[in-house]
Amino acid sequence: MSGISYYDLRHVTGEVTHIDIDNSVVESAGTSFFNKAILRVLTGTGWGILQIDNYTPCSGRTFDELLERAARLARITEENVRLGDVPRGQLAVPPLKEDPRDVSIEEKSSLLAEIEKSATLPGIVNRRAGYIERTEQVRFADSSGNEYSYEMSRSGFNVLAVASRNDNVQMGYEREHSLDGFNLRHQQHLGKKAAEIAIALLDATAAKGGKMRVVLDPELAGVFAHEAVGHASEGDLIQEGSSVLKGRTGERIGNEFLSIVDDPSFHGFGFDPVDAEGVAVTRTEIIRRGVINAFLHSRESLAAVGNGVAGHARAMPGEPPLVRMSNTFIENGDSTKEEIFAECKNGIYLAGSRGGQVDPGRGVFQFNAEYGYLVKDGECTKMVRDVSLSGDILTTLHGIVLCGNDRKMSPGYCGKGGQSVPVSDGAPHILLNDAVVGGSGVD
Amino acid sequence: MRWLVAVAWIEELIREAERSVDEAEVYFVEGTSVSADLKKKKVSLATRSQDCGLGIRTIHAGRIGSSSTNDPGQWRECLKAAIASGKLATPQEWEGLPGPEHQDSPALTFDDTMKIEPGVARALLDQMIEGASNHPAEITSGSAGLSSIKVTLANSHGVRIADRHTSVSVSLEAIHGQSTGFEYDHSWSFDRIDPSRVGERATFFASESAGGKDIPTGDYPVLLSPLAYAELLGTVFVPALNGRNVHAGRSKLAQSLSKQVADPGISMYDDPHLPGAAGSTRYDAEGSPTRRLDLIRDGILCAFVYDIRTASRYGKKTTASAVRGGYGGSPSIGHHNFVVDGKRDTVDDERVLYVHTVIGAHTANPMSGEFSVELANAFWMEDGEFQAPIRSAMLSGNVFDLHHAIAGLSQKTRTVGSLILPSVKLNKQHIIGK
Repeated sequence: MSGISYYDLRHVTGEVTHIDIDNSVVESAGTSFFNKAILRVLTGTGWGILQIDNYTPCSGRTFDELLERAARLARITEENVRLGDVPRGQLAVPPLKEDPRDVSIEEKSSLLAEIEKSATLPGIVNRRAGYIERTEQVRFADSSGNEYSYEMSRSGFNVLAVASRNDNVQMGYEREHSLDGFNLRHQQHLGKKAAEIAIALLDATAAKGGKMRVVLDPELAGVFAHEAVGHASEGDLIQEGSSVLKGRTGERIGNEFLSIVDDPSFHGFGFDPVDAEGVAVTRTEIIRRGVINAFLHSRESLAAVGNGVAGHARAMPGEPPLVRMSNTFIENGDSTKEEIFAECKNGIYLAGSRGGQVDPGRGVFQFNAEYGYLVKDGECTKMVRDVSLSGDILTTLHGIVLCGNDRKMSPGYCGKGGQSVPVSDGAPHILLNDAVVGGSGVD
Repeated sequence: MRWLVAVAWIEELIREAERSVDEAEVYFVEGTSVSADLKKKKVSLATRSQDCGLGIRTIHAGRIGSSSTNDPGQWRECLKAAIASGKLATPQEWEGLPGPEHQDSPALTFDDTMKIEPGVARALLDQMIEGASNHPAEITSGSAGLSSIKVTLANSHGVRIADRHTSVSVSLEAIHGQSTGFEYDHSWSFDRIDPSRVGERATFFASESAGGKDIPTGDYPVLLSPLAYAELLGTVFVPALNGRNVHAGRSKLAQSLSKQVADPGISMYDDPHLPGAAGSTRYDAEGSPTRRLDLIRDGILCAFVYDIRTASRYGKKTTASAVRGGYGGSPSIGHHNFVVDGKRDTVDDERVLYVHTVIGAHTANPMSGEFSVELANAFWMEDGEFQAPIRSAMLSGNVFDLHHAIAGLSQKTRTVGSLILPSVKLNKQHIIGK
């Protein structure tokens, strides 16, 4: 076809099963179906993209017409896009320990109800549990003859407990998501944990804001890596000029023991067997021993920016691939949790994540803990609630003075450009000096 | 909005459903959209999408089921899945879906002059770029989008509503050194957006925020722009008015009906018939006729919002507040045009800390209302002028409490999604400096 230098088609079909139980009432449960495709065509002036709901695979003249329709869109574009040379190949999808599709929805519903019920404690006024299972059949083909197809099933649940006393309302929230099979069995302890946290928070005090020493638990330290480093290392942002890490490859940004990695080949919740542009996925060390080492790339951002690794393009069904994180983590150091608390001495311990946000161009990030404890003489004392932390990307990492040896990954979802993709974040316990903590408490 | 000529397969679907269930509802969306994106100052990609989705809801003996698909040709499978889904649901009190109300009236949010074409999106980008050139900041990315959809709502009581909507949106991000700016605009009507001003504001905030200074921790008078206020209001306060959250024990306002929940100068209401507003509609997503709903009058909480499901369960009446985020799932409780109103005043004459946007509002505690967010594009402001920019600081507080500390509402309002808001001046808010 004239004027078309490259095209690719990504077609995803599948089904989503969900269950929503609210105070013992099955609010809704059932299965829905989807079929979405995206055709990207690259011309001499840029991308023309067709997003098609309910796509029927086609070839010959019908497919050529789609290519032409996409190419016509690119009449208004004006950028000479180059695509980087990339390694190819597809990893095996990890086998399911138990295929969720082999479990009846009635059984899923009763298992979820058990988890929800286990959040019953005196003082709890609302319990809610949700199950979500998503199976996708992905087919990818491009004009260079690369073809991949795979099927993946992700499933998981969350449980919320709300405690109330007088005018005080607090919540506990637990979640577990998996790509290696059905995970609703033997999880009642998480319902109980959500309830216990909600009740304990009724007696917690608001943290007093200011600069202090902070110990982050593995989940929150993972979110820290994701917000403070991950987003700013995304190649499309570097290319646009909206990341403070632009042009800083080789610069020291943290201590010698600090390495931060994004690895879509790792069997965490953010695993992809092949990326959304048909590129082989691989481990990328964003920060290696404290030095900015490699950016995350798509084929386009790799060609435009360099200094990094492609295979990080991800997409929701029917949506354009964007440079995204997958499984992002701070590597283990050699300190024990006890050493970290001892070194902290007086400060605050923050645990669990209510999410975070970053402005990578300005280099400022914020994230929020589910709960925390004041640390006095190396011991956790009084519980505190509603604590967040903000900082500057270029200076905060130097504040990581100890890294634990107990890395743990936590699953979640990350939003960018209107698309939400499964990710996992993780870290060992870490000690952060001079962290800016936000809270509404006063002495 | 008009009564539609029967669509054969939808009629067949409803007849088929009536053999197995008491009631059925069909929600079908078809549309097309076009967008074009900037990478720096160049148009790097253009997209056209063809959207199509079918959502089916069934109700039988108080059991509500639902399913959805992109493929209307598969409606039989989808109906089967919806009925199967209903069998799993706990039965509940159910007042019934609405019947038809004969009213033939023009669509409220459809602009028949809007052309869903790449060239139009391109022209919007060009106007933004031109506006952006007024200030010394670089464009990093931007987008312009146009869409037109047709929504069909039909149920087994004879409701047949076909409605059309258009939308246009533009956004631009800019950077100056290490200082960023962002602006956007959206409407259903092509003439109601101002792309040149969006470009100008994005580069203005990026360049004007450069060279900011830190401020010491303390309590300050704060002026939240509609954007910053929308983040906090939408994350915490609006969900607390949702009838389902209220009755489920997830709302701090549950026991506050007829009580003072905001400064007496403040009122909040949902007005689905506001001329020109983006969320205006004569029917909600379940086909119930909409009306203005006063939620807070002079600071007193006077109503919660309901759809049929929640109203039936708790012995209330629907407030026609059902909305759909798309064709999937069931309708949920929301609002159409949520307005915060009250006595308007000059709010920026005395020295005040102006906050344009915040980072991390979604991490606020939706139950207790506690939050601490990072400020973005914050300035000292006096006599209506932006003065010294503030480099970095956090604002901490409680969204419920801050409504009692409102000292004034600006003359101007702005539409942020489905919220229509003034700037809000607050007495004594806690700022954590760096």
